[in-house]
Amino acid sequence: MMRMGIRTLKSAALALAVAFAAPQAMAQEVIGVTDDEILIGALGVLTGPLFRNGKTIYDGVETVYNEVNAAGGIHGRKLRYVREDDVCKPDQAVPAVKKLIYDHKVFLIHGGGCSNASLAAKPEIEKAGVPWVITASTAPQLTDPVNPMIFTTMLAGWMETAGQLQRVIDLGAKKIAIVAQHDAWGESRYTPLLDAFKAKGMEPVADEELSPEATDATPVALQLQAAGADAIITVLFPKAAAALLRDMYKIGYKPIVVGGSAIGDIKGLNDAIGIDGALAKFQSLFPTKSPLDPSEDVQKWKAAVAKYYPDDEFMVWHMFGIASGQFMVKALEDAGRDLTREKIAKVLATTSVPDPDTYAGPIACTPEDHQCYKSMAWFALKDGEQVQVGETHLSQ
Amino acid sequence: MLPFLLTSGITTGALYAMVAIGLVLVYRSTGHINFSHGELFMLGGFFAYTFHVTVGLNYVVAMLLAVIGSFFVGVASDRIVYRPLIKAPGLSMVLATVGFSFLMKGIGRFFWGGKGEYLSIKPIVDPAPLWIAGIPILPQQLIVLAGALACMIMFTIFFRSTLAGKMMQATAENPRAAYLVGIKVEQVYTYTWGAGAAVAGAAAVLMAPLTLLSPDVGFTLLLKAFAATILGGLGSMVGAVVGGFIVGITEALAGGYIATSLQEVSSFIIIMVVLVFRPSGLFGVYGIRRA
Repeated sequence: MMRMGIRTLKSAALALAVAFAAPQAMAQEVIGVTDDEILIGALGVLTGPLFRNGKTIYDGVETVYNEVNAAGGIHGRKLRYVREDDVCKPDQAVPAVKKLIYDHKVFLIHGGGCSNASLAAKPEIEKAGVPWVITASTAPQLTDPVNPMIFTTMLAGWMETAGQLQRVIDLGAKKIAIVAQHDAWGESRYTPLLDAFKAKGMEPVADEELSPEATDATPVALQLQAAGADAIITVLFPKAAAALLRDMYKIGYKPIVVGGSAIGDIKGLNDAIGIDGALAKFQSLFPTKSPLDPSEDVQKWKAAVAKYYPDDEFMVWHMFGIASGQFMVKALEDAGRDLTREKIAKVLATTSVPDPDTYAGPIACTPEDHQCYKSMAWFALKDGEQVQVGETHLSQ
Repeated sequence: MLPFLLTSGITTGALYAMVAIGLVLVYRSTGHINFSHGELFMLGGFFAYTFHVTVGLNYVVAMLLAVIGSFFVGVASDRIVYRPLIKAPGLSMVLATVGFSFLMKGIGRFFWGGKGEYLSIKPIVDPAPLWIAGIPILPQQLIVLAGALACMIMFTIFFRSTLAGKMMQATAENPRAAYLVGIKVEQVYTYTWGAGAAVAGAAAVLMAPLTLLSPDVGFTLLLKAFAATILGGLGSMVGAVVGGFIVGITEALAGGYIATSLQEVSSFIIIMVVLVFRPSGLFGVYGIRRA
C-alpha cells in the first residue's frame, strides 16, 4: 500500500513535470522570445559618414519600443533591441547579420539602411528564415519578388525617382537632366528613373555621372548648362551633391535641383557647401512629415527622442524609425502572445497603419505586396530652416 | 568651356599635388611609400575641425595646432609601427602602412564618425566665387593652389640646400653608408614620418572646406595623389606637383569634352600610357637604391 502510494506520487510528480515543462519547451523553441521579452535585431550602419541611415533611425525605432515597454510591453513581454553595425558595406553586412541571427538569436530583424549592405545580408536572412522589416534600404529587389518573410516600410528606389520626375514636372520644368552615381545604390534608382522618363514619353536632355567621392563637379555643371537643362534630378549621396550644387552656383547656373532621401539633412548640406543661396532652388524628398511639424503627432515623438537620446537632434531619420516602429508594434499586438516567426510574418503581410505619426502617408502591407509604403513629402530650405513644401502619393 | 575646365583642373590638381608632396617627402627619405598618407590627411583635417569648430580657436591657431598634432602622429607612427620593422623586407613596411591606415580610420570613426554626414570647415575667405577674366574661381581653391606651390618650393629648397634635407636624401639613398658617416638614421626617419604627416595635415587644413571631412576622405585622395606621384616620377617633388596638375586637368578635360563618366578614370589611363613609354615617370629616376 505504502509502495503503491509512493509510486502514485512519483507518477503524479512526473505528470506534473511534463505538464509544466511542455509549454516551457514550446516557448524555448521560439528563438528570441521568452516569457517576458522579445529580442529584435537591428542591422545597419552605426558609424561613419552615413551613420544617420542607421544609428539615428534605430534611435527612433527604440524610442517607440521604450515607450511601449514603459506602458507594460506587448502581451506581457518587453521589447529588447540589439544593434549590429554593417558599416554600410556588403562585406561587413554578412558577419553582422550572422551575429544577430546566430549569436544574439533574435526573433526578427527590424532594420537595414544601406541598400548594398542589405542586399548582401538578404541571402543569410532568407536562409535562416528570420522575419525582416526593413527600415530604410530602398533597393526594390529586397521585396520584389515577394518573399513571405521580408517587408519594407521605406519607399523603394524606383518610387523615389518616379516621384522626383513628377515633382520637377509639377514645378514646370521642360528640359530635365539627370546626374547620377553609378554604384549599386545609384543603379537601383537610375534605371527606374529612365523607365519613368519613358513612361511619360520624355527623354532627359543630359545624363551625367558623378562619383560619390567627387571633389570637383565643374565639368558636370558645364555639361548641364550646355544642355540648357532647367531642372536636374540628382541620384547622389550628399558629398557629391554638395560638390555639384557648389560648382553649379560657381558658374552662375541655377536650375531647379531635386534630390532623394539620401540627402536627409538639407541644413547640413547647406553648411557643407558654405555658400548662401546655393540651395535656393533645391528640394529633396522624404517619406516623413517635417521634423518641425507643430502637430502633437510629431512633437510628442520629438520629446520622447529627447528623453531617451538627449544628444540626438530630432530629424527625419528618427521619423523613419518611429513610423516603422509603430508598424512593428501594431503587428506584434495583432499577432497575440503565442508568437512564431511564421505567424508574425503572416500578420505583417496584412498589417496596416493608416496614419503613422511621422510619415506622410499610410503603411499598408498585403500578401501580394510587401512594399508597404508609397508616399513622400518634399522639403526645402527657407530662412535657414528645413520646411515641407509639398507631397506626392503614388498609387498603392 | 576650355578656360573653365582648365581652371577647374588646375585647382583640383593643386589639391592632388598637395597630398602627393607628402608622399614624395617620405619616399625620398625612407624609400617607402606611405599608404597611410590619406588617413594622415584625414586626421589632420579632423584636428583642424576640433580646434577650430568644436573648441572655437582662431583659424590660424587651429591650423598650426592641427599641423603640429599631425607631426606628432607621424612621429608616433614611426616609433610604434615603423621603427620595429626598419630591417624587415620592404613588403613588411608596405603592409605596416596599410595596417596603420586602417587603425587611423578606426580612430577617425571613433572620435569623429557619427557627428554628421560630412563635417565641414568654413572657408578661410568669403566662399562666393571670384570672377577673374570671365572665369569663376572659388577663393579657397586659390589658397590651395598657393599652398601647394609654397610647399613644393619649400621642400625643394629644403632637400637641395639644407644639411637636414641632404641627410634625409643620403639616408634614403643608402642607410648603411649614411650610418657609417655619422648620420643618425633612426632620428632622420622619425622626423621624416613626422614631416610627412605634418604636410598631410597642412593639406587637410587648406582643403577641408573643398573636400568636406569624413573618416573615409583619405583613400580617394591617396589614389589620386599616388597616381600623380607615379606620373611625375616617384621621388621627384617637382614631378609630384606637375603630376598632380596633369591628373586634375586630365580629369576636367575628359569630363568636359568626352564624357563625365570618364572623369574619374581618365587620369589612370594617361598614367598607363606614360608608364609604358617612360616607366620612371616624367621627372623620375629608376628608383632609390637600398643597402
